[in-house]
Parts: sequence; structure tokens; C-alpha cells
Amino acid sequence: MTWTCDLVEARLSDYLEGLLQGPERAEFEAHANSCADCAPLVASVRSLVVEMHSMDELETPPRLVYSILDKTLGPRETVTGWQGFLNVIRGLATPKFAYGAASVMATLIIILGASGFSLRKSKLADLRPAAIYQTADRGVHRVGAACVKYVSDLRVVYEIQSRLRQDENNLQTKPEELLPKPSPEKIPGQTDEYKPSQPRQQNRANEVSRQLEMLAVELPMLSERSVR
Amino acid sequence: MRRHSRRIFNICYRFTGNRTEAEDLSQDVFLRVYRTLGSYRSAHGGFATWATSVTRNLLIDHYRRTKRDRITDSLDDKMPVVENKESAGRRPDEQALLGELSMQVQSALTRLSPELREAVILRDLQQLEYAEIQTVLAVPEGTVKSRINRGRIELARILQQMGVRPA
Repeated sequence: MTWTCDLVEARLSDYLEGLLQGPERAEFEAHANSCADCAPLVASVRSLVVEMHSMDELETPPRLVYSILDKTLGPRETVTGWQGFLNVIRGLATPKFAYGAASVMATLIIILGASGFSLRKSKLADLRPAAIYQTADRGVHRVGAACVKYVSDLRVVYEIQSRLRQDENNLQTKPEELLPKPSPEKIPGQTDEYKPSQPRQQNRANEVSRQLEMLAVELPMLSERSVR
Repeated sequence: MRRHSRRIFNICYRFTGNRTEAEDLSQDVFLRVYRTLGSYRSAHGGFATWATSVTRNLLIDHYRRTKRDRITDSLDDKMPVVENKESAGRRPDEQALLGELSMQVQSALTRLSPELREAVILRDLQQLEYAEIQTVLAVPEGTVKSRINRGRIELARILQQMGVRPA
């Protein structure tokens, strides 16, 4: 088969897209390389196709989608006046918005309460940053002191309870120890209750435990009275 | 919708070479798609192919409708003008949008006959398969191949006349 310029031109896209195989491709190339008219044509079409394949798509204008929606679904209605106001209210009355508003309010109340701001006795001066800081600082110290007191009370109660438990154990295990003992030698100038080895706090615990024992004896009477 | 609108806008722009016209035509395409959605069948190929067919038909209608205006314009073009023909009428934002060579290719595309232009756009710019182009243009595969080949050669010659040589 003899390849003419017309035939090369007709099969040019087939060649560029790899549809020519074997002897056809070789004959095409043989003519295209030797022909002064076909060689530049093949080169320019090849580079043109490469250029077109590398051309990027254009971005759509931003307003195009809205214009299409307006044209297909009709223009969006713009409601004014009372109807518009009602639409806004209707939009706000959604569960999502209500939950959000409630959580924001709760947070605000907690923050205001912690900072010591009172709505009943509110003054303009209370809103000064220095005043808010002082109130908050005072509140923090008050809470801190209450915590310390609570912990120390707990400690005393624990000590009382442990002492009582210890005494009960002693009563069960060694009743003979409760028998009266001969009084030890008295040191002149000292009372009977003086025990230098015990700390003061233990003395206080012993005292409280005695009072508790008395209360425990009294308690059935009190409870009987309350029943009556 | 954004994906389809981008593709349709690109086809319209490559065919007309005018951004405003492409926007208007894209809107018309979607309006027609919206109205004739009931006539869509999967036998037409995918939705994208069907929408491309609608676009092509609308572009050909538009081309025929505005033919008279273009004849008048071409007569005006023959009058001596000082400014460069390629850059005339193209807005600066459009020039910035396209590269130098892409702009010249775009300019050359608008000088092709509509049959060759649409075939080249669908194959080399939209990179559709031959079977899809056959469905869109509703012509046999041999005709599709022939139009693409002639379109490419014609385009290369136009660029050569414009003094543009793609590297």
C-alpha cells in the first residue's frame, strides 16, 4: 500500500491515538518523516493535542449555580414585614436552638453565681472588673476555709470513732483490766488526770468520746420522748 | 449539580468563546434539562451524556439563531482596525483566566465550523470516549472519527495562520 499525503492526513488521529499497528504504523512513519508537507503537519497536530489535553477546566462563576436555581425552581421569595418577623421566630423555635440557648443560660448563671453577682442587689459598680475580682476572690477564700474546716472535723470524728472501737475491743478482750487498780504514786503538785505522754488532741478525743457515750445512753430516752 | 454545571459551562465557553454567553447558555441548558427530565432514559447513556446531548443541541440552536449577527460582525471585521484581532473583545479577566497559548487555542476554536468544533471540544477538551461522542452527536463512529481528525488538522492550520506554533 502506497501512503500518500491525503492518506496520512486521513489517518493522522488514528496514528496519534495509537490505533495504527505493525506495518501500517511503520509505513505511516516512513512517509511522514520523508514528506516535507506531512512532517510539520504531524508535529503541529501532535503538539496541539498535547496542549488541549493539558488545558484546565475553567471554574464556574460563583453566581451561576444560584442563577440556575432561580431559573429552574423560580426566584426565591423575600418576605418582609410581620410575615418575615414570624418566619424568623419560627426559625428560632427549633429544638436545636432551644437546647443551645438553655445551655448558654445555664453557663452564664453558673459563672455569675461563682463570681458573686446577685441580680436582686445588683449595682452598676458590681460590674467593674476590680469589684468582680474582689468578690470572686472572697468567694474562693470562703469556700477554701469551709473545705479546710470540713476536713478537720472529719478527722476529729474519725479519731473519735477509732478510739471508741478500740475501747470496745479492749472491753471484750481484757475485762480484768477494767478492775480498779491500786492508785499509782502521786507526785506532789500534779493532778490525777495529768498524762504527759499523751498529746492534747487525744485528751480532746477522750473527752468527746465520753460525751458521746453519755449521749448514747441518753439517746433511747430522747427517742422514746419523741415517739410519745 | 456543581459538577455538572462546571462541565456544561466549560462546553458552552469553549464553543462560544464568550463568558457571558456561556453563563446564559448554561442556565438555558439546566432549564431544558429540568423541563425534559421525564424524557431521560438510561438508554441515552449516563445522565452526564444525556445532559451533554442537551447542551450540544442548545449550542447548535444558538449558533443558528445568531448566525446573522455573526455575518454582520464578520463584515465589520473586514474593515481596517488598529487593535489586535485576537485580544479584541476579550475582557482582561478572561485573559487572566486562560494561559497565553490556551487563549490562542480558544480563539482558533471559535473559527472552526460548528460540526468540527463540537467534535474537538468533546474529544480533546472534555476527553469523552468515541462511543459517548457518538451518542451525543447522534452520528456514526466513522463520522465522529473523521470530524475529530479534520477538526484537529484545521485547528493546527488556523493556529499556524495566526503565527502560533505549539511547542
